[in-house]
This record gives sequence, C-alpha cells and structure tokens, in this order.
Amino acid sequence: MVSFEVSRTLKKKKFWLGTLTVPFAIALILGLSVISNTTTANKVDTQKNAKFSFTYVDASGLINSAIASALGGSEITNSSLGVATVKSAKIAAFFNYPKNPATETVGVFGIDKGIFDNGKYAAVATQLLQLSVINKVGNKEIATLIAGKVRINSTSFLKGKESGSIGDVIPPMFFLLIFYLVLLLLGNQMLTSTQEEKENRVTEIILTTLNPNTLILGKIVSLFVIGVVQITVFASPVILGYTFFRKDLRLPNIDLSSLNFHAAPMIIGFLLLVGGFTLFTGTLVAVGAIMPTAKEASNVFGVVMALLFAPFWVISLVASDPSSLIVQIFTYFPYSATVTAMMRNGLGSLGTGRASIVIAELFIFGFLVLKLAMRLFRYGSIEYSKRVSPFQIFRR
Amino acid sequence: MDLGRGEPLVHVQDFQMSFGSTKVIENLSFDVQQGETFGFLGSNGSGKTTTIRSLLGIYQATSGTLHIGGAPFAPDRNISLGYLPEERGLYKKEATLDVMVYFGRLKGLSKVNAVNWSMNFLERVGVASRAKVRLDKLSSGEQQKVQLGITIMNDPLLLILDEPTKGFDPVNRRLLMEIIEEQRTAGTTVLMVTHQMEEVERLCDRVLLLKNGVARAYGTVSQVQDEFGSTSIDIALSGEIPTSDSYRVLRSNPDDARIMANVGNSPESILKELVQRGVQVKSFMEKKTSLDEIFIQIYGDESIREAG
Repeated sequence: MVSFEVSRTLKKKKFWLGTLTVPFAIALILGLSVISNTTTANKVDTQKNAKFSFTYVDASGLINSAIASALGGSEITNSSLGVATVKSAKIAAFFNYPKNPATETVGVFGIDKGIFDNGKYAAVATQLLQLSVINKVGNKEIATLIAGKVRINSTSFLKGKESGSIGDVIPPMFFLLIFYLVLLLLGNQMLTSTQEEKENRVTEIILTTLNPNTLILGKIVSLFVIGVVQITVFASPVILGYTFFRKDLRLPNIDLSSLNFHAAPMIIGFLLLVGGFTLFTGTLVAVGAIMPTAKEASNVFGVVMALLFAPFWVISLVASDPSSLIVQIFTYFPYSATVTAMMRNGLGSLGTGRASIVIAELFIFGFLVLKLAMRLFRYGSIEYSKRVSPFQIFRR
Repeated sequence: MDLGRGEPLVHVQDFQMSFGSTKVIENLSFDVQQGETFGFLGSNGSGKTTTIRSLLGIYQATSGTLHIGGAPFAPDRNISLGYLPEERGLYKKEATLDVMVYFGRLKGLSKVNAVNWSMNFLERVGVASRAKVRLDKLSSGEQQKVQLGITIMNDPLLLILDEPTKGFDPVNRRLLMEIIEEQRTAGTTVLMVTHQMEEVERLCDRVLLLKNGVARAYGTVSQVQDEFGSTSIDIALSGEIPTSDSYRVLRSNPDDARIMANVGNSPESILKELVQRGVQVKSFMEKKTSLDEIFIQIYGDESIREAG
C-alpha cells in the first residue's frame, strides 16, 4: 500500500512541478543574490576609493591635510561657501567636520549622482576621518581597538561542563525545522489524503479489502517518505549554495565542529517531533475524513497552520521568562506543545521532567486523534458528497 | 474459516438498523447457503444496500447478527470476497493495469500473478490495448469491465454484487452474466442485489424481497411465485373455451385461450375437465406469474407515488 501511494505520487507531473519549483526558485534567488551581492560589494569598495574633488571645513582639527589632498580634497574656512559651490556644481562635494565628530554630525554635501552613487560622498568623508584619526594615534592596533573591532570567544559552564553556547542550541532546533518543513510540505496532502478514496468512490472496495487502520497508517508512512524526498530536493540547492558560493552569498561561516550534540536534548527533540507529527497528522486526517471535498478540507488548513505558528507570537517570553503563565499554557496545550517544547528544549529551559510530561501528552493525544481519524474515515468516507458530523459517526 | 457442512456462508439473524430515530431495517433474517446464488430484491430505499454494507462491516448494525463464514466480516479475516458496490469507482488518474495490480496485491496475489491475471482479463474483455492508459481516459463501459475484473480477481468464495448491471449496456450485461455463470459453476456463492428480474429468474436459486426494511418474500423463485403469483394456463384448442367454475378465462380467441385456475383447482384437474367436456386440446402450458409482475404487485404503489 505504501509503495502504491508513494509511486503514484512520485509519478505525478504536478508533484514534481510543485517540488522542483521551490528549489528552482531558491536557485534563481540565490543566483540573483550572488550577482547582486558581488556587484554591490565591488561598487562599495569602489566608492571608498572614489576620486573626486571636494572641499572641507575642519573644526575638529583631526583631519590630516596630506591625506585629504591625496583623496582630492582642499581645506576652506567658510562652510556656507562650501555648500554654495556644491549647489552651483563648481565642485563635487563639501564636508563639514564639526568640533566634536564623536558626538556631532558630519555634514556631507554632494552633487546628486543617483541614490547608490551618492553613497560615495559619505564613504570618502568617513574614510578621510578614519585615516586621519589612525594617523594621529600613530598605532594601528590601538586604532583597531578604539574602533571596537575586537574578537571575543565566550565560554560558560554548567556542572563542570561547557554549555549554553549557540552550538548547544542549534542541534535540538533541527527537529523544530524538520517539524515545520514536514507539516508545511505535507500538511495539505495529509488533509486530503483520504479525499481521493471519497472522490473516486473507492471507499467501499477499500474498506472491504483493507483494514481502515492499515490504510490510514499506510498513507501516513507514505506521506513521510514523500516528505523526505521533497526535503532532499529542497535542501540540495541550499547545500550547494553554502558549499560553493558561501562567500559570494555572504553567508556566515558555520563551524560545524562547534555544534554540540548532547544526548538528552536530542532524544527529547526527536520524541517531541514524532509525538507532534502524530498529533497533527491525526488531526489533519480526521478533518479530511469528514469534509466532502478537498477544497473544503483545505479551508481548515489555515486554522491548523495558525496553531502551528502560534508559539512564535510568544517567542521572546519563551527565551526570557519560560516560567511565565503564558509559556506554561503554550507548553502543555496539545496543539502548541510541540513547537513550544522544542524551542524550550533548544534553549535549555525544558528539563527532563517537563519534557516527559509533554511527550507523553503528545503521544496519548496523538494516538486518540489517530483512532478518531480511523473511525471518521471508516464511517464518514462513504457519505461521499455530504459533510459528516462527528456526532453522527459516534452514533453508528 | 471453518464452516460445517450445511452451515450457511452468510447468516443474518434479527438484523435491525436505525440511523438516529429512523428505523431502516426491521428484524431481517435470511441465510445464503454455500454455492448458491441468492437474489436480494427491493425498490429504491428499501434497505438493500444498508443490509449489504452492514453485512460487510461498513455500517455497524443497531442489533442482530450478521455473519460471513460463521463470524462478523473483517478484511483481515481469511475470507476471499469479491464486492461490487452500487457506488463504484476506481483511482481514475492511475493507469488501468496499475490499479488492477494494486487491488490484486491488496487481495493477496503476488505481483506476477496480479499482472498476469489482469492482462488475461483485459484481453478477454477487449481492453488489453488500454492497459497503460489512465482510467479516466477509458469509456464508462470499459471502466465497468475493469471494475468487474477487480471484483473477481481473487477467485472469491463469496461474490456480493450490488446492482451489478447498473449502467451496463446490453453487451456488457451479457458479459457480466457470463462471468457470474462461470463463478457459479466454479462453486462461488453469489449474493446479488438487482432490479433485473429476468436475471434473477435465470440465475438465482433463492430470493428475498425487501420492502421498507422488512422481508416480504423469501424462498426459491418458485416458492415466491407460488406465494405471490398465480399460475395461468395457455391452451391451444379447437373452438372456443367453455366457461367453468374451476377457472377464470383471461383471454379467449377462436383457437387459443388463457385461463387462470381458481383456488382449489390444479392445472391437472382443469385439463381433465376440459377433456371430459370434449374440448380438443392441442397444447396445454402452465405459466407462473413472473417475478417482474410480482415485483410490480408488491412495490407498484410505491413506484406510482415516486413517479407522482
């Protein structure tokens, strides 16, 4: 049953059209981004070294006249005159350095060359001031420190072991990413998974050939397999982009060796993923079983997605005050528990005890909802074009 | 499945079905013996499909016993069943052969056997060239043939056909009848829901007529005819038929007549009487009331109300 469901989905042109559109779009965006960023970076570099004639007033006394002259500048004493010459296009730009550039604004005036090219004036004004100050300090290293360009390596300890770094947070959060990906990719398909039997009027033959529980479980497994295929297809351009075009895309260099895979949060994350997947899948299948058409079933999808993203409305609280009442409610309410618990697990505020409660809750609710879905499918799917009330089903 | 000799394959006892406050079936009981062909008749809405679905576990009976092979039916019991529902369909966007093989595999055939059986069947019904074509590209008649193939592909022990000829043209109807005949010959038990009385008379060993959820007639075709119908006699003779208290003349022509025996008079005694009265009888043929006429007799007022 699984192989039939998987193969007939993979054989559909519409599936590949939808699946490949996303990575194709990603590749297109990445490509445009590469071109755009490369061009921009080159232009920004060019701007710093742009050569044009300018005048300046230096009330601070910091500007080095030799450096200014090398950059094309000459000092004047009248700022009004400086602005006037730019206005009349006699000179390209005028810089007005105040008495205290650290607290006051440097005035930059230039002939309009377009919004991007206008940036060269500020770039040169800044460059001139920085080079002049470095020259005054006389020591490049001290000047770097003054500029705040300091590299820090932070380490914290818990119970004698290193912990609390971003390297601890990221690995458990992978499960959250997988959870969202799977539901976003497959949610609608789960909702409409039993619609085909209904719409094709195959239900009665299926119910007398196959245990409906087997059918539902088979569909869930096949959806999971299809999801893996889709994720692989989506991930490929991202991985290729990171591996070969990281610098061009200006992506941060993630040092994978700094990721810490601790057993407890990883196991908890995995169990939360499975429990949450069971609960949401069961819910979507149950809803699909009572809806007469795929279109009506899809209307419910928006509501489920809202529940899925609800914990992000309180993400700042989850990080800063996980013991708050709102976060507690989100942690234990079944439909927000998965995401909230996964976030807390990654951030280290969940704990084994609370995790156990949430995991048990997810599996119990998930199991109950799946049983409900099977019953709803069994008795609801032969109503074909009618919407079925769950109460009707329970009366049978 | 462990049925004793003589035990019915299908056993329904005191079956009641209600949907909410609406009683649909009331105290229905019947058996279908192994190897027999059983006709399940009734007007639209009389409860036939509800009974079939309850028998197959698709509906849960309000009360009563519904057994196939000595126990309630479940797909994971080892009973080879072929079911052609009234609401029928297939995975229309899939290739014909793929769908047949899928159902064959679900019914326990190996992939090779499922493919071979399907291709042989498609050859027989003239659809082999469309094996790789999507089902929605086939004509409705071709789709019905495929559906029929799926129904019988696992050599079922029990064949349940709900309005099997619905939507069939005469050619496909004949094909279906041939296939049912073959299944009967092979020993398959057939439970057939139908309105086609000529098929019932031809194929069925016993019948049950259902009206408003209640069995109105149950037995062999002959028994039902005897219970609800009457016997008319077609006589070829010289001259006119004389009047008599033993019979009622339905039609009288110079050389033939149709009479109906009055209660208490058998066709044999009437023939004897005619001969004794000097009537030259050339031929004397009994004719029972057809099931069609009995059906109209029982359901006729409903049909008039529906048509009205």
